[in-house]
Amino acid sequence: MLLQVRNLRCGYGSLEVVRGISLHVRAGEVVGLLGANGAGKTTLLKAIVGLLPPWRGEIRMAGRPIQRQPAWRSVSHSMVLVPEGRMIFADLTVRENLQVGGYHNPDRALHLDLVLDRFPRLRERLHQLGGTLSGGEQQMLALGRALMARPRLLLLDEPSMGLAPLLVKEVFAEIRRMTESGLTVLVVEQNAVATLHIADRAYVMETGEIILEGQAGDLLHNPEVKRAYLGKGHSAPNA
Amino acid sequence: MTPTASRLETLPRAELEQLQLERLQALLVRLKRNVRRYREKLAGQRVESLADLARLPLTTPEDMAESFPYGMFAFPLREVIRLHTCVGPDGRPLIIGHTRNDLAQWSRLAARQLAACGVTANDVVQICLGSGSALGASGYLLGAELIEASVIAEDPNHVDYQLEMLRNYRPTVLVTTPSHAHDLTRLLDERRMDPQAFHLRTVLLSRPVDRPTRDAISARLLTPVRCSFGLGEVLDPGLCVECDHGHFHVQEDHFLVESVDGELVLTTLMREAMPLLRYRTRVACELQRDKCPCGRTGIILKPGTRLDRRLHVNEIPLYESQIAGVLAQTRVAGQPFETQARERSLIIRVQMTSELFSDTIWVIEKLRNDIQSEFLSRLGVEADIRFVEPRSWPASGQRPPP
Repeated sequence: MLLQVRNLRCGYGSLEVVRGISLHVRAGEVVGLLGANGAGKTTLLKAIVGLLPPWRGEIRMAGRPIQRQPAWRSVSHSMVLVPEGRMIFADLTVRENLQVGGYHNPDRALHLDLVLDRFPRLRERLHQLGGTLSGGEQQMLALGRALMARPRLLLLDEPSMGLAPLLVKEVFAEIRRMTESGLTVLVVEQNAVATLHIADRAYVMETGEIILEGQAGDLLHNPEVKRAYLGKGHSAPNA
Repeated sequence: MTPTASRLETLPRAELEQLQLERLQALLVRLKRNVRRYREKLAGQRVESLADLARLPLTTPEDMAESFPYGMFAFPLREVIRLHTCVGPDGRPLIIGHTRNDLAQWSRLAARQLAACGVTANDVVQICLGSGSALGASGYLLGAELIEASVIAEDPNHVDYQLEMLRNYRPTVLVTTPSHAHDLTRLLDERRMDPQAFHLRTVLLSRPVDRPTRDAISARLLTPVRCSFGLGEVLDPGLCVECDHGHFHVQEDHFLVESVDGELVLTTLMREAMPLLRYRTRVACELQRDKCPCGRTGIILKPGTRLDRRLHVNEIPLYESQIAGVLAQTRVAGQPFETQARERSLIIRVQMTSELFSDTIWVIEKLRNDIQSEFLSRLGVEADIRFVEPRSWPASGQRPPP
């Protein structure tokens, strides 16, 4: 197991948001974490990367406990978070944004080329300011910036947020392609259909608890998932 | 290890236990939300390790029977696309529901069981479990189809037709009951037929049998014989896989098993329509965590005898209350009786009274025939009714079997 979380509890002030969650991600997997607004998904991600101290529970990366380590250490554990809303540096150029992402990586010059090969549109916009990119391009930049750190585990928080359906398709196809080079992905999403189509497994979270775990194809047909996330008329393709 | 052993059957213990804990925690949340019977029992209960399972309440077959028909369902009936019935305590019916995912998971588990027996897409599988085992037959059908084997789903009613099918359809795998396999071997002996004329390479029996029985079937049909173990109300087939070394490995990614005072207790981790928490199966068992040369890491289950008063006649489960119920529909209602279960038939000794007695033999014969046909039509079992003179039995009702 690359990432192992056991009985994690955390929150803000006296408010418990994540209420005893256990999950795991194996190397090479794409794992989805689905949930509505306020389910505690982002809080869980923040706790995993060290932005929020856990109240209780255990987080292990490649077998090593990491729950008491500061956020900046998560990069040296080969774990990178792509935050909700992309959070690119609007006043830096595309190149600078990517270079910031590779700050820890001694081979960042070589890596920049690899990332630009993966996202050719970023190469075209290399000297453009991040803030002037379209939503889809900004998401590609956020992914590219994360890849610059050479992560083993990529944590994606709502990569589809604010994107047009066509761009969502493109971004998710890119996420799936990234796993072909051995990357492991934990993707947190409200867009259940897009996530379940690229994920191997998924968890469904509600009010701070995991209510379902299973193969992505099975969850597409789960009555609770269909009702809560896919809408009444959705007909899931055969998985 | 067989090449077809699933990755999930060989998970390292730590990874398996992580998966089980995640699934157990999610199961508890779903049970609290969706099943009224569990909501009260589980209020405030949390599990932080698999050891906490022992603190959770048990579910009994009586709980299931009292929730008849749909009280144990976690989803509204419109989400349940398959309903099966099985025999519950004292013969009361239990309804087992499956969602679309339940069927998909069942097919995968049954396929793993068949694959463990060496079944591949090149096999022709005949499923011959008798009319009383529609539940098991549909599970094997799902599994065999998933493997993409050719499936003969017809169940010949007579062993003669079975022989014809073995010759004509050339099945390579026969899934059947021990009784039917025994009939087949007997017929081969009687007709001095050579089993090499068939193409069988594996026989899978629907329930465990003792070593001499298995060896006898194997020797007569010239094929390896594997056994299955399951429970209709939980899953059968699909609960465990018998490996090449004769060990029943529980498919622990889907089931948690415990032995509580020697009784097998099962928790279904992935069932959607009818999840069960710590279900007391009324079956004795031993559990072993030994390392198996087959490479599977699932706990080894040694099923024992039934711990309730369930009888089995011709592979049909029966309770004495069902027998009393059938007798109550006849003219001997209320008469003391005793039962003796044989492999193929049920011997019932009923006390004769002066009101029932007649000097004319055909009157007695008609009474006997009426009762026997009542058993056949209601329970599907052959009953051998014997009238006996009044003895010092209880005033009415049944006596314990000898």
